[in-house]
Amino acid sequence: MIVRTFEGARLTDAKVGSGMPMKAPRLCTATVVNREFRAPGFWYVRLRCEHVAHNAGPAQYVALDLPGGFAVRLPLGIYTASDDAFGLLFQEWGERTSCLAALPEGEEISCIGPLGNEFTLPKRGSKATIVAGGLGVAAFWMLSRDLRAAGIDTTIVLGARSKDHVVGREELAAFGFPIEVCTDDGSFGFHGNVVERLRSLPPPGMLYGCGPRGMLRELCAHANTASIRCQISMEETFGCSMGTCWGCVVPVRRGSTQGTGYPQAPGEQRNFDFARVCADGTVFSAAEVVWKA
Amino acid sequence: MSTTALDTTVKLGSAVLKNPVIAASGCYNRGEEFGEIIDLATWGAITLKSITRHPRLGNDMPRVFPTPSGLLNAIGLQGPGIDFFLEHVAPELAHVPTAVIASVAGFSVAEFADVAAAMDGIPNVVAIELDVSCPNVDREGQCFAADPTSLAIVVDAVKSRVKLPVIPKLMPNVADLRPIARAAQDAGADAVSLINAVRGMAIDIERALPMLANESGGLTGPAIRPIAVHAVWEVAHAVTIPIIGIGGLETGRDALEFLFAGASAVGIGTANFRDPLVHVRVVESIEAEMRRRHCGAVGELTGLAHAHAKKDGSH
Repeated sequence: MIVRTFEGARLTDAKVGSGMPMKAPRLCTATVVNREFRAPGFWYVRLRCEHVAHNAGPAQYVALDLPGGFAVRLPLGIYTASDDAFGLLFQEWGERTSCLAALPEGEEISCIGPLGNEFTLPKRGSKATIVAGGLGVAAFWMLSRDLRAAGIDTTIVLGARSKDHVVGREELAAFGFPIEVCTDDGSFGFHGNVVERLRSLPPPGMLYGCGPRGMLRELCAHANTASIRCQISMEETFGCSMGTCWGCVVPVRRGSTQGTGYPQAPGEQRNFDFARVCADGTVFSAAEVVWKA
Repeated sequence: MSTTALDTTVKLGSAVLKNPVIAASGCYNRGEEFGEIIDLATWGAITLKSITRHPRLGNDMPRVFPTPSGLLNAIGLQGPGIDFFLEHVAPELAHVPTAVIASVAGFSVAEFADVAAAMDGIPNVVAIELDVSCPNVDREGQCFAADPTSLAIVVDAVKSRVKLPVIPKLMPNVADLRPIARAAQDAGADAVSLINAVRGMAIDIERALPMLANESGGLTGPAIRPIAVHAVWEVAHAVTIPIIGIGGLETGRDALEFLFAGASAVGIGTANFRDPLVHVRVVESIEAEMRRRHCGAVGELTGLAHAHAKKDGSH
């Protein structure tokens, strides 16, 4: 069956590298349920929106239209999803996130989602390690839920600047996986970054990463060198959040199914193509991403 | 008159659109990304992203940056090139349930003419927009739309190769748009669309570097609307061909500003990102205004502010 989705240039049935069908995103209304302060500048906001809560998969996101004269929506990864509400874990960074953090309970906003592709699960019996830098943890609540349901033995490694900036442990602890914490300043857990910590752990069958660009680059290098399957959820500044403006591209291996597939121009010699983080991702395989200097 | 059917059709040369609301180039592609959220048939037309002769991967990242009431972008004309377009995209256009305007970009007169000629005859394509804000490599990188002579040469070259109506898209970064619009008309343009994005820039004060990899970019969104309305107002004094008013339109009221300033149709770009259904509301607002003012045809709204300004005598 042909299902029309946001999957960019291809009007095919909605399958991303994952092989999982995406639930079609919809334009819906989301109502603010509550918000909680989590760390300096970090907020957890829950929004009631049945369509997103019921259909969101790991690493998917929503695009929120916030009041205040903003020209474009705010895209945010969906953290938790239960009953008829989903939760967002975010840092106040710029006017749109400050606006979201200040929305009163009961406020209704326009929401498009769930958007983007999803992490895929490893084979039964294999082991997985989740590596999250800072707010990257927001990509992993739904994945942990699904890994738990699939019976995958999983270790979670969380990194943060300092003890005060460790977020996400409360919710993730519910899945019963061991959680390792690393801090840049050594104020809690392992003193160092998450990839350093990862190197001292037994290699899993599958790695999942989300976090700052430098961390993801290091994680991909580690995974590729050690021949470990690895999926990362990437972040970029989005324009449209829908796949139309091509403002959020990432270089991927030429020939990647997530790339544009454009032929080379005469005389052009390139080993990469571009993929849209918003519509072809946000999940990419470490083997696909090309890290330009 | 309020009991008769409203005539919302708009003519751009030989092209007839069912209503005057057009998806602007760059923001819509051919609409498939919006999936089931919208019914494309509700648009008067959709404008494709600009196509060049050769494939272009476009600029490095970052390419976009949100600014107050606006969006800066420097995508860099990412596109598959005309051959790939003809093979993979053009056949799909037959399934688009509304009129399609193909946008052509080029870096030389010959490129514009060749790519435009290849668009002629594609099912459902009713007009060709020329993205003449590109630098002309034959003229030391001066933009085609910056100079009446350059623009006239490219419009003339395209007109001699295609049967479809030709619509150059004018850029606002010029001292006076009127002679440029007039040159386009004299060279045979069937309509003009304006404005293209306003050149702009933002700087990351932490890193002391431009926010965009391309350094500068084009500013779109409501921040540029008054600039666009004024541009339409001025060009309406200079030409008799239809004007497509574009720039920061977000509501039905905004659309009426453009029509009253002299536009025959309006383009919606960045606003689609906030509200994919914005055009439906804009069409409804235009129809409501037609009823309120007892206009049987949407064309009667075009330039109303000019007539009133003259009558008033204070302008």
